Amino acid sequence: MTTAALFILLFGCMLIGMPIALALGLSSITTILFFSSDSLASIALKLFEALSEHYTLLAIPFFILSSAFLSTGGVAKRIIRFALSLVGHIRGGLAMASVMACMIFAAVSGSSPATVAAIGSIVIVGMVRAGYPESFAAGVITNAGTLGILIPPSIVMLVYAAATEVSAARMFMAGFIPGLMMGGILMLAIYIAARIKKLPAMPWMGFGEVLAAGSSAFGGLMLIIIVLGSIYGGVASPTEAAAVSAVYAFLVSIFGYRDVGPLKEVAWRNQGEGVASAVLRNCARSIQAIPRCLNDPDVRKIILDASKVSIMLLFIIANAMLFAHVLTTERIPHHLAELIIGWGLSPWMFLIVVNLLLLMAGNFMEPSAILLIMAPILFPIAVKLGIDPIHLGIIMVVNMEIGMLTPPVGLNLFVTAGITGNSIGWVIRACLPWLMLLLIFLIIITYIPQVSLFLPEFLDKLHGYQ
Amino acid sequence: WAKPVVIKFSHVVAENTPKGQMANKFKDLVAERLGGKVVVEVYPNSQLFGDNKVLEAMLLGDVQMAAPSLSKFERYTKKVALYDLPFLFEDMAAVDKFQSSKEGQDMLAAMKKKGLVGLGYLHNGLKQLSSSKPLKVPADVAGLKFRIMSSDVLAAQFKAVKATPLKKPFSEVFTLLQTRAIDGQENTWSNIYSKKFFEVQPYITESNHGLLDYMVVTSAEFWMDLSDELRVEVKKALDEAILFGNKVAADKAKTDKQKIIDSKRSQILELTPEERAQWVEVMKPVWKKFEHEIGKELIDAAYNANN
Amino acid sequence: MFLRVLSQVEEALISLLLIATTLLVFLDVVMRFGFNTGFMWTQELTLHMSAWFVLFGTSYGIKVGSHIGVDAFVKLFPRGMRRLITCVACILSLCYCGLILYGSWIYLAKMKKIGIELEDLPIPTWLAHGMLLVGFSFISIRILLLLWQVVIDEADGFRHVDEAKESMEIVEELKEEEVTP
Ligand code: NA
Ligand code: NA
Repeated sequence: MTTAALFILLFGCMLIGMPIALALGLSSITTILFFSSDSLASIALKLFEALSEHYTLLAIPFFILSSAFLSTGGVAKRIIRFALSLVGHIRGGLAMASVMACMIFAAVSGSSPATVAAIGSIVIVGMVRAGYPESFAAGVITNAGTLGILIPPSIVMLVYAAATEVSAARMFMAGFIPGLMMGGILMLAIYIAARIKKLPAMPWMGFGEVLAAGSSAFGGLMLIIIVLGSIYGGVASPTEAAAVSAVYAFLVSIFGYRDVGPLKEVAWRNQGEGVASAVLRNCARSIQAIPRCLNDPDVRKIILDASKVSIMLLFIIANAMLFAHVLTTERIPHHLAELIIGWGLSPWMFLIVVNLLLLMAGNFMEPSAILLIMAPILFPIAVKLGIDPIHLGIIMVVNMEIGMLTPPVGLNLFVTAGITGNSIGWVIRACLPWLMLLLIFLIIITYIPQVSLFLPEFLDKLHGYQ
Repeated sequence: WAKPVVIKFSHVVAENTPKGQMANKFKDLVAERLGGKVVVEVYPNSQLFGDNKVLEAMLLGDVQMAAPSLSKFERYTKKVALYDLPFLFEDMAAVDKFQSSKEGQDMLAAMKKKGLVGLGYLHNGLKQLSSSKPLKVPADVAGLKFRIMSSDVLAAQFKAVKATPLKKPFSEVFTLLQTRAIDGQENTWSNIYSKKFFEVQPYITESNHGLLDYMVVTSAEFWMDLSDELRVEVKKALDEAILFGNKVAADKAKTDKQKIIDSKRSQILELTPEERAQWVEVMKPVWKKFEHEIGKELIDAAYNANN
Repeated sequence: MFLRVLSQVEEALISLLLIATTLLVFLDVVMRFGFNTGFMWTQELTLHMSAWFVLFGTSYGIKVGSHIGVDAFVKLFPRGMRRLITCVACILSLCYCGLILYGSWIYLAKMKKIGIELEDLPIPTWLAHGMLLVGFSFISIRILLLLWQVVIDEADGFRHVDEAKESMEIVEELKEEEVTP
């Protein structure tokens, strides 16, 4: 009864166009008012707790900030050039390079829409110009963009870690191989399609270009090393690594690449300038530029944009935690767990239920909110059935990837529709064949836990544990 | 037919820990004796509130019982800082003796003005030092970074041996230790075992230098609203559950220590009386620093429980 | 003019909170590795700053339409009906803010009466958590303004984030430069 009221209220509020965060909050608070003796004061307290007691979630704004600097700072373009130099000469190479660029960008960014926006806005136009069908280009990128939350770092994994208290660093490790695998599957499918459809290849530009492109992209690629290295190498917690990556992304895009900010158009070396005077001039200009960053319109816009996205996400997360709190105080996860365990499901059947539930939820909601609502329900059952929490986490993340591609709330769809100027319906049709691949991938991930668990367990062994 | 009184018991650990078992035992005892009149609902694993906010929620009347560690009460009364003082108790027998004394029981009532009533102490055990380096004498600790819980006393304790105390979320301690981002931490045998710290810390010094205890607490308003008869019965059930929990904790300290030894992952260092005396000598001045906040008589009373 | 300054102050505060939080965590790492030391209070401060950032920034998000939501259903209706539905949505949102404000007031009053401070910082709890009142008051004002706009037919819905439009900006920027392939 309470459960029904809670969910009906939630969907009602969402249907009439309330922002998701407010819909989550209102449905929770109304349910408390009508069905529970809890006070409004403790709801306010819970909301503040959700905002101020989760150190893991603090990584979210930092990762958003760092990818904001990278996507406007020309790093995306350099990554694409690098990917092209590697696989561009294969048949369908431009599309494959785009997928590879998405994978690389995913390794520095924590979000899927950001990945689609950064890479897609450049390569879709490029592919169409090179003779690819537009729907092919759009479908590939919209799907490859979902890797943003599977390849670490990942905002969704941080939320899962916060909801279930598993280690965020371990989640990150677990996503690595599945991410590479999904990227590989996409590239293989492109290659086959390219053979059939006789899609173009580009000339091999030589190792010189690989080197040149690689070193040009080096500043961006370094970020992967900083983030993953500091987490796996154990220098810092994910939150700290995220803060470091934000500061690094700022430095590399403003002072290194100089695509935006106060040093825009300032050359490293002017014509006929001596080395010594160039070094001196660059130092002077850089120092001069530090205070000017505060007032620079580019920098301010990047920070404000990152703030908007962070606030939107964190406010949804806080309200979703409120929603989960209501579920808990009403003992709903408890009863559902008893019910489902009462069915006597075996783990593989339970995982089918999990996938169906998540795929359904993925249609309507923002991924972090789904995780926060579903994790308390599914987690205890999974533990009782002997399913590894990390494995469950990766299954949930892959489901969320699919949710990014399904209407009505499919963030990647919105972004691609924007880039191509086509309707959402058109984008959905373009994505459909690739979505099938993702579904097959989901089955693989669900029933072969080793894909997710191999790397974390291997690293444990390397360190000599168990 | 009155509706039963509901006691929401919120804690932050798993159900198989001593605290979790104590809470479940309490639930069972109440169901058995006061079924229909009082119902205990246990919410483990921070499902309801985390340790930082649970006391506030209790004051608002939405949680009735919790058992945070004693240093969490420092915001409400400085007196509990007593239990964080290093080398105050030599063993758990001394702890029991002091806690059941008049002074120990009075401390349970110290937060009444703030609206909280302590109902009893629940043990975890004595703390050991784990580290990436062998620690035998205080000089070995100098310059190392230690994770501590938020407490002025614990910070002062590590500063006294010239180590750097850092506050880190419990969930991240394992990773930070593993990667040597921090060098060590202090904890009880059962926590070192259950959180797998022994797998990433090559040395554990059996220092027994401090106490990790919890206080089972309720709100004064809720407690006073109970009828006299119910209050007595609930308290009786709780006392029994705490006794049970303390026994579980004591057994666990022993078995977990043995499991750590058997794993051979971590070398356990024992202190000679002379080495121990050195630690006491450098850490004991911390008592003086907090004397005016805790009260000298209280410190003396606790110290005398050792005899 | 006044409104423009106000809006700039708002944007500056939001940005500053994000920058300060990032730098504080960064500083923590630098202190630990560079100087083998650290502070006890940074964690609590950064967490609170991020809470203030979200509570203070949400109303700005409503103004610029950066909160995501579902508008597919509402768009099925003609404009008049759509405005009516949005009015209902606004009123419901105001109820939410009102209830949270009421709850926050009781909560903060209780904290003030008991007089406890934060764990590591010597700041009274009621003051540190007071952003609940500020934040939700601002959100209420923004929603009231939106409601007014809907009533006088200047708006017909929450302007949900138009990621499409935002991405178009990137495309526009890129059009000026020739794309690599
Ligand atoms: Na990523
Ligand atoms: Na969706």
